[in-house]
Amino acid sequence: MNELEKLFDRIAQRVNINLRELEFDVTPYIKGLVSFEKMVKFYAFYGVTPHHPLNFVFRHSNLAGSYFLGRCRTGNSILYKSDIRGDELKKQGAMVHYQGFDIPISKDEAIEIEDSFLIKTLVHNYSHDPETLELFFITNTISTHYANIHGSPTDGSFLGPFATVDLTTMNDCVIGAFSYIQAGEVNHLKIDPGTVWVRVPGVFNFLYRYPREALSPYISFEAGKAPRGALMDFVENRKKDFQLLFDVVNLPSSIKVPQNTSLDRFAVVKPKIHIDENVLVAQRAYLENSWLGKGANAQENCYIINSRLAGNDITAHGAKIIEADLDTTVFVGFNSFLHGRPESRITIGKECIIMPHTIMDSDEPLNLPPGHLAWGLIQNPADLEKNSIRMTDLSKVENKLSRGDLYFEGNGATFVRAFQERIHHILEANGAFFDGQKNRGHAQKNQNISFNTIQPYPEGDLQGMYPTILIQP
Amino acid sequence: MKSLTIKELMVPLSEYATVPVGSTLFDAIQALEKAQEEFDRTKYRHRAILILDHDKRVIGKLTQMDVLWALEPRGKDLKDIDELNRFGFSHQFVRALKKERRMESEPLKALCTKAAQLKVEDFMQATTEGECVDEETSLDMAIHQLVLGNHLALLVTRGKDIVGILRMTDVFAAVFHTMKECELNP
Repeated sequence: MNELEKLFDRIAQRVNINLRELEFDVTPYIKGLVSFEKMVKFYAFYGVTPHHPLNFVFRHSNLAGSYFLGRCRTGNSILYKSDIRGDELKKQGAMVHYQGFDIPISKDEAIEIEDSFLIKTLVHNYSHDPETLELFFITNTISTHYANIHGSPTDGSFLGPFATVDLTTMNDCVIGAFSYIQAGEVNHLKIDPGTVWVRVPGVFNFLYRYPREALSPYISFEAGKAPRGALMDFVENRKKDFQLLFDVVNLPSSIKVPQNTSLDRFAVVKPKIHIDENVLVAQRAYLENSWLGKGANAQENCYIINSRLAGNDITAHGAKIIEADLDTTVFVGFNSFLHGRPESRITIGKECIIMPHTIMDSDEPLNLPPGHLAWGLIQNPADLEKNSIRMTDLSKVENKLSRGDLYFEGNGATFVRAFQERIHHILEANGAFFDGQKNRGHAQKNQNISFNTIQPYPEGDLQGMYPTILIQP
Repeated sequence: MKSLTIKELMVPLSEYATVPVGSTLFDAIQALEKAQEEFDRTKYRHRAILILDHDKRVIGKLTQMDVLWALEPRGKDLKDIDELNRFGFSHQFVRALKKERRMESEPLKALCTKAAQLKVEDFMQATTEGECVDEETSLDMAIHQLVLGNHLALLVTRGKDIVGILRMTDVFAAVFHTMKECELNP
């Protein structure tokens, strides 16, 4: 057995030890999920920009096809085609406000990944845990295809495909496929697939759970089998389009974009694309026959096809927008799947919020009026009626709302305000409000990134392992 | 009390309400009524029905609470509500939702009609090792078992067979009687 296989077994064992209380064995889920041949095949790469601290330490790891930006450290880990995007990490001297405390940041924050196996996972944002502000750690953790670990220090956990943990510290948890968790802190929990849970203790609690049989045609993940379903088919069918991007080192941009816009060279751009000013198109985004108005963005693993985004629209990590028309300032949450058809397009009104992990997939046209919030599984206009609410009505909820598979406790106005503030923050961070001088964000800072590649041992016992590498200014 | 055995206090199985597996809740309630009529009326009333398998072995018991539980609204929605506590929803929230569902459900008479046709095995509590006690066991040990296991009754065994029921109420009566004797004849 070579070093890479030993490393794989070691990670599985460590995660199993953490999850023993939940009696969850990761081995049948991950064995053969990514072949060792593939882990050896792909190079890793990192970005160099003057806007982000440069500090990479890679030790005893396999980094096949993964991308790194900012301060990142890996040890005893396997990262397969994952994005470790450290462009929002806190800088030394910054101040964090938490429950009346002003906590100074003593050194530049780093993402540290130890004893973990991440498959096609996005790691982004910064640690929101006041106990570990300078270190965004991911330890003893396995995450599978298209999972998002977003601002969430994580230890001893397992994430199913298309699972998202957002702004949450997580210890010893199993997060089922297509579940979205934003709950501050979670410990020793086994979350069923298709759970969408947004909680601020004592303030509000939003819970939606997909009916399992209705979710499985979209995504299912069983021990011993690869993830299956329409979501997997959708991304797998477009995999080849990305191949060329990674095969060629210097690739000229396929289209001209405004000066204040960032179009990542690792994004797929297919004909008839309009990209306006202050737009951010991240790596592994996929654009085809679409219009991105001023300030719109397409984050990692997003797909925008035959659609129009009027402007200041957010397509959060992993969201897919097909045959849809979005008015301005629409938020489409993580991994949402807006699947319109040429004869039944989806129309989303101004300032709507599509909750993370929403599926809109209908043979009939769907029309969400302005100022609405939508969630869950929407397969026809009746579902849309049931799974959406005008935000002014939600703001009037003072304690309790129950509708279909949704349960909401707390103050609706606070919930709406929290989302609206976050949307504003995301647009600001992405550079949507850049006026030529002020409000510079990712769309401006992430231009002209230099990409360097690093490669593993090509053969021998260390085949697939990357030598210890330190990259500093 | 050490000299007493539970044989003297138990209700023999033949005097207890029993129904075979596959019976409805209505059958069980009828059996309870019949057993009660035939039972010594000076004694405390029966409060449970024993469920027998095809070999007439006791496999579970149906208490008054189990029958009332059958009247509760159920379904996926109620199951989901039961799980809300683990997601940090308050007890008041869960209670209010359950109350709403109860208000939305059918009137009690309709619920009783439906519940009467439900099968006993879907609501019975299966017997467990901890609630069985050998008929030769001394009463003080049986009391110990009742208290530790928080049981309302123990199933009395002879070998592998259940031959009777030791009810807490009968044990309490025996204890009370002994207390009185001690007090009068110290």
